[in-house]
Parts: sequence; C-alpha cells; structure tokens
Amino acid sequence: MSSYDQKVAPKREERLKTCIAHSGGVCGMGRKAKACMIDDGERGFTQGSICLLLVALAILNAMPETVVLIHGAVGCGSCAHSQNANTRSGGAARTGQVKDAIWLSTALNEVDVISGAEGKLGQAIREADQRYRPKTIAVVSGCVPGLIGDDIDSVIAELQPSVSARLVPVHCEGFKTRIWATAYDAVYHGIGRNLLTPRIPEAKRASLSREGEQAALLEQEKLKRTVNLMNVSSMGRVDELELERLLQGLGLEANIFPVFTHPDTFHKATRAALSVSTCPTHDDYFLRQLQEQFGVPFLIKRMPIGIRNTSLWLKDIAGHFGLGATADRIIEAEEREARAALEQFRPLFEGRKVFLSAGEFRALVTAQLLEELGFEVSGIRMFHHDAFADDEYDKLAATAKTDYSINVANVQPFEEANLLNRVKPDLFLGHVNGNSTAAKLGIPTHTIYNTGLAYIGYRGAFEVARRLHRTLKNPAFNRNLSVWADLPYSRKWYEADPFSHLHSRGDAL
Amino acid sequence: MSAHFIERPRYTCSLGGATFAVNALPGGIPILHAPAGCAGSFAWAQNGGSALQVGGNCGSLSIPSSNLQENEVVFGGDARLRQQVKNTLDVVDGGLYVVLTSCVTEIVGDDILSVVKDFRAEGASIIGAKTGGFKGNAYHGYDILLQALFKDFIEARKPKRRGSVNVWGIAPYLDPFWRGNLLGVRRLLQSLGLQVNSFFAGEDSLEAIRASAEAELNIVVSDVYGIDAAVAFEERHGTPFLATSLPIGPSASSAFLTAVAERLGTAETVLDAALHEGNRTYYKTLEALTDCYQDMDLQRYAVVVGDANYAVALTRFLAEDLGWLPELTVCTDQLDGEEQARLTARLDQVKNVAANLVFETDGSEVIGHLNRRWPRSQGQRYYNAFSPAFVLGSSFERELAQAIGAPHLSISFPVANRAILNRGYTGFGNGLTLVEDLLSAIVNGR
Repeated sequence: MSSYDQKVAPKREERLKTCIAHSGGVCGMGRKAKACMIDDGERGFTQGSICLLLVALAILNAMPETVVLIHGAVGCGSCAHSQNANTRSGGAARTGQVKDAIWLSTALNEVDVISGAEGKLGQAIREADQRYRPKTIAVVSGCVPGLIGDDIDSVIAELQPSVSARLVPVHCEGFKTRIWATAYDAVYHGIGRNLLTPRIPEAKRASLSREGEQAALLEQEKLKRTVNLMNVSSMGRVDELELERLLQGLGLEANIFPVFTHPDTFHKATRAALSVSTCPTHDDYFLRQLQEQFGVPFLIKRMPIGIRNTSLWLKDIAGHFGLGATADRIIEAEEREARAALEQFRPLFEGRKVFLSAGEFRALVTAQLLEELGFEVSGIRMFHHDAFADDEYDKLAATAKTDYSINVANVQPFEEANLLNRVKPDLFLGHVNGNSTAAKLGIPTHTIYNTGLAYIGYRGAFEVARRLHRTLKNPAFNRNLSVWADLPYSRKWYEADPFSHLHSRGDAL
Repeated sequence: MSAHFIERPRYTCSLGGATFAVNALPGGIPILHAPAGCAGSFAWAQNGGSALQVGGNCGSLSIPSSNLQENEVVFGGDARLRQQVKNTLDVVDGGLYVVLTSCVTEIVGDDILSVVKDFRAEGASIIGAKTGGFKGNAYHGYDILLQALFKDFIEARKPKRRGSVNVWGIAPYLDPFWRGNLLGVRRLLQSLGLQVNSFFAGEDSLEAIRASAEAELNIVVSDVYGIDAAVAFEERHGTPFLATSLPIGPSASSAFLTAVAERLGTAETVLDAALHEGNRTYYKTLEALTDCYQDMDLQRYAVVVGDANYAVALTRFLAEDLGWLPELTVCTDQLDGEEQARLTARLDQVKNVAANLVFETDGSEVIGHLNRRWPRSQGQRYYNAFSPAFVLGSSFERELAQAIGAPHLSISFPVANRAILNRGYTGFGNGLTLVEDLLSAIVNGR
C-alpha cells in the first residue's frame, strides 16, 4: 500500500531516519554519516525554531488562486506576514501583478478546545469558498486540532461535493515531527491526493476538431521534451530563469512545479518526460509518486549551485535524453565564461575562511561554490541530516584543508555562537533569521537564501560572488554592531564544549 | 466579518504577544514551553509585520524553548521544562526569565507555575505566565504578561511616591512604533515634572520596574490593551489608573496632559506651561507648511483602518489637528461589546467630523463598508466623489488604496513596507512626524 493511501504523510524521522542533533568532522561524514541517522535523543537545552507548518505555508501561500485556511490557534500562520512579501514579489516577477496571499485562521478559542471545532471549520470552508471564489482551499491543521481530535479529513470529504474550490487537507501538527522538512511531504501528499487530476475530466471535453487533433499531436511532442522543474520556494524567478535557459539549450522545456503554478494545471506534471529536483531535500516523496503512479522518471541527485554542481546537474538531465554531447558543449562554454568573469573577485576572496549554515544540501553545495570562488571552508551547520547528501560530504572531504566541524542542528544559535567564537571565520553565510548571531559577533554575513536574489546556475555563481565582494568591501555594519550589541549567552557557555548539550535530553537533573 | 474565521489576522496569539513583550523588557529572557515552531512563527510575524524589527537581545530563533514533541504530549512536559529552565539559567544571561506556556502545554495540563516556584525558591529571577495561544490574541498576551509582572515581580510598596507614574498600553512589536511612541508619551509626562516608568522603553530598568508599585497613578494609553492588567495592579498594589487614547498630535496630547494633571492635582501653572510649550513648538514648526498646504490643496478625505489604539488616535488627529475628513474608521481587532462601546464613545467625542466607526477583522471587507458609507458613482454627470482621499492602515490596505486611487501610509500592524526603529507619533512634536509621513506619501511623485 502506498503512503498516499493514508491520510497523513509519514514523518521523516521514521521514513528517512533523519536526525537533527550531531557533531563531527567533515572528513568522516561521508563514511560515518549513516551512523547519525538514528533516534538522536536531542538536546537538553534548546532554542525555538520553526515547524513544518511554517514551511508548508510558504509553499501554499505561493499557489495562485488558493486560499490557505489554517485550522488552529490564531498565532499559527502568523509566519505568513513574512511569506506575503514573497507572494507579492514572486507574483509580480511572474505575472506583473502584485497580489497579497489570502490566508485565514479559524482562530480556535477556549470553547473550541473544549467542545471541538469541526463545525466551525466546515462553516469556515463554506464561507471562504463563497467569499473568495478560489480554485483551491488548502486546509492546514496546526497543533490544536491534533490534540483535541478534530478530523479535518472527514470535514473536507463531507463538504467537497457542495463547494466549488478543490479542498486539500495538509497536516502540520508541529509537535508530531521534529523534522520540519516533513512539510514538503505533507504538502506534496495533499497535492498528490487531490490536485493531480484535471479539474474538468478529459472524457467530458468536446470531441476534437481536425485543428484540435493537430494541436493535441503537437502537445504530445512537446511533452516528450518537458521536464518538471521542482521548486517548493527555494528559488526565486531569477533562478528559475537561469535553469530554464540551460534547459532550453538542450531543447527542453521546463514545467515549474508547484510554486506560482496554477493548481488547475498541476496535472501537467503527470505527463512530463522527466522530473528534476533542484534540491534533493525537498522532493523525493513526490517524485516517487510521479514515477509509481504516472511513470514519470526522476533525477534527484544534485543541486545546481556552484559551477561544477550546475554542470553535473545539467549533464545528468542531458544523459537521460541522450544529449550528452550537446551538454558537454554548453558546459564547456558556460564554465569558461563564468570562471573568467569570477577572476576579478578572487584577490579579495582567496584563502578567507567561511562558515555556512542552512538546510543540508544547500549548505553543502554552497560550500563547494565558495571553494570555487577561492574561500576556505571552516565549518558547516545544517538543519538536519539524511542520506541524500552523502556524495557532497565526499566531495568536500576531498578538498578540505582541515577536518572542520560539521554540526547538525535545527538552528540552535547557542551552539553556533560558541563555535564561531572558536573558529573566527572571515565570512558567514546563514539562512533566514540565521545570520544575526554571526552579525553581532562582527563577522561579515550574507544570506544564503532569499527568493529575490540569484544563487543558482552559472549566473547565480557570479551574482553570489558579486554580492560577497560587496559584503567584504565594507563590513562596517556588523563590525560596529558587534561593539555595542551583545549576544545573550553567558561567559561560562563560551568556555564550555559547544556540543555539551547534545544528546542530553531527558538526562536526570 | 466572518463568524468562523479571521482573514489575515493582524496579530499573533497570546503566547506571541507575551513573547514580544518579554523581548522588549530590559534584561527579559523568554522561555517558551512550547513546540519548536512557535518561536519561528513569531519571528516571521515580526519580520513581515513589525516594520523590519525582529527580536531583541534574545529574540527570534535565539529564544529558549522546550521544543515539545509527542513524548511530552503523552507523558507531560514538566520534567522537560525543569531541564530546559535549569540549562537556560546556565547558558543564557538575563535579568528576568519568563516562562510562557503554549496551546500544547495548556491542553496537556503542565503545571509550569510550580516549576517556576521551585526555581524562584532557589534564588532565580524567574516568573511564569499562562499564555496558551487559544486564550486570545497577542494583545491579550501582552496584558497577561503585564499581569504576571505585577503579581510576581514587582515589590509591594507603600506609601505611594508623589509625582511617580507608570505608563503602558503600547504593545511592543505589535505597534511597530512602540519605541518612539513610548518615548513620546514619556516626554509628555516628563513635561509635567513626573517620574515615569514605562517598562519597555530604553530608559527603563528592571530596578525601576521592581519598584513600580510606588507609583501614585497608572496611565494606560489605550482603551483596550493593558486594561485588565491595570485592574489587577490596582487590586494588588492599590494604585488607581487612568485610561486614555493614544495621544497623537497637539489636540490629543493637550487633552492627555490635562487629564493626567487633573488626576494628580498638578499645579495649573505647570500644566499651562507644558501645554503652551507643546502647542507653540508644533504650530511654529507647522507654519512653514502653510503655503504649500493651501496651494497644493492637501486636505483629504480619509479612511482609517487600524487596531484599537490607532483607529481612534489617527481619526482624532486627522479630524482635530490636520483638518482632514476621516469619513470611515475601521477597527480590525476582535473586541467584546464593552470594549467596542468604549471605542465608540471615544470617537463620538472627536470634534469637527462625525466619525463613523466599524468593527471588521477582515481587510477585504473594508471597501464594502466604504461603499455603504459613501455611495459609488451611478454614472451621473456631477458626482460628489470620495476624492481626493488617503488611506491610513496596515500594509494590507494597499489594495484598498489602489482600488480607490488614493495614497496610503502603513501605520498599524502589519507594516511590511516601512523600516521603523525610533519613529513615533505620540506627543506634540511627533505629530509633525506624522504630518511629514502623510504628506510625503502624497507628493512623492512630485
């Protein structure tokens, strides 16, 4: 039985043995990595982080003509205030129109907690359907429904026949998984179960005219060259354009899925010739479904960040279509031009120590990009660890100047502060809300993820270099800040082993 | 307004509001007894709503949190909280640690107050508050946090000290202008010669907060936020309170100073001097605008959309100070009948324009309220349009402004499209800042 037959996607700690608490050196990681993929016990001191609900909303709020209805307390979903900026700018970049995302909250109160809120949810769905007339309503459940036993799937099943929007349940009870990447599976699970069939069944469409038949044939030809380019919001439009450009060089067309793609066209993904992941952390759950149910093969080995990894990514795709020779020509020209363009920045970068923190795959490939630019990697932190990135550890180990620290943590800036205080890097790249620790220590920082900026492909490599050059040319903001702004940690903590709270959860006091 | 959902809630939950407030307390360290995602949700809410301000010294993803999982839901989280508090005291330096509960811990029934009590008995500076997210919105959480401070942190003081006052009613981060607004209110009160404790401003200290029961009057610059806390303060420490609206601009500031002086029996000469100085400075400065204001015809109709504080205060400023025509005021908070009555009574007192107040949580419905208030053109040749107009609201009101072809200024949460650190609109001089911001939005294409 497929996991898509279940109401809820499995959590990643069970499905992939993903862990969030580990420390080690880079040289051993490739070999030892699997050793950490066990129930890792967690830390005895923790800092707040995010949960799968935030990540899921980031994807759902970027789906056109979709209303996101959060079934939970009024604070679940307030992350959408930040995501709305992405919805606005992302929509503008793709359609020229600026629109706010529409998210709603059932704002559960004490009465709802005591008596249950399935009725309220049902009425909210009806009213949202009538007021906004959306094509899709994603019903996202937070912790509270999980605790009081609301059955959102039954409410949805009962209501679906009487509302015009397609209803998609997305289970995001935050306390149930400590791996927030489960969000990708939760969203894909909802999409996979509810949105992959055409809205109007094809059998009911009027029979085709002669011109129509021709168009259908052309469509068939096009589909043989169509690649699902997976983007769950880790790329902005500028990055999509770079990958579309490279695919076009191979004569291939990109079907970007699922952000900023209309849910009524999602079924197109089931007809593509190939699916390609742009970040292996994100997509395996769905790509397997596309393969098993619809026979669409997939590639999920690479992330096209950095010159070498972009070339490998492109080569894999070309190989699938038997276009290896074309790819070699494109790659040769692209690499030559990009490497030449990067030379101007090298004097400022050469030998400087860089420390990175992000999702596992992104952190590891960005580290390789920075090596290509001339930096020396001095430490990497990643939000979780699973088996997808083992090869990337091997690549980094092969070029590492020292056996630098690899720290798996769902952010936990206290460990980072301690580590940075020891390593004293010249540059830090961190994810959203993950740069302030380094900044307050006076280290020049640059965001490793921002959907308005370019990171991907050859263009991304150049743009990252350009931005880092700017960062390093005048790092006064952070330097000044560090003189006056303190981090909240005790002196005692800086003297302690940075990993002394690992695996201590549940220890006796 | 829907009875079943809130559209894009313009606040987070009670845990979030309390967390924001602890972030703003001098030396305040929140400890969330919550699943991991709550802290991140608040950081992202601030990122998108608080005009580019996130956190504080121990905010955002630095906030200590027990990060509850299924295990604690099944077996209870008391032991995990005990471990988290002990380690937090080790790892994080702070002046006051505040344990805050979440939906999960409230439903599971963890007894956090007894955990907190044990640590306090050992000498830790720590209090706790029950802020489960389903108990209310972030403004409610701000109130709960104040109540916890008044109950467990501030010391009993008698007798009261003449000339000493406390002020609150501005919720940190939920009001993106909280620093500037608190400072503006402090300056007003200081102009009467008062000694002011305002809890969250840069000039405040934990020592002064601890001694705040010596105040002879508590002043709440809100008709809603912090009122329950004021009642609790009075019951416990015997200090009465005065609730006023947020004093933005010369009219409201004058009324504010007059009301405070009356309650405290401040000498008339002191009050008169403060009123004279405040008004004189405002109008002497405004004088430079006279030509352009007339020549460019800068009077506007206005729609004001805001939280309970701003809805009233901005409408009053426009009607009484700037001479604009705020024809529709929308309060986006979920309020009970008594709170709604208080705001309605306030707006009824606004001079020059008969204000029209609507309670509506959902931004997309505002245009409907406007159309009912000011009928749309029927295609008649001579139509008295709602124009020229201006929209004051949150950044969501950009859609409304675009729909009616009016300029717009984001003031009430969420403020996504401005960077605010020190700016405030309260007081006399800060009223000029508001004039600058409003008129700049009109002339920025000039």
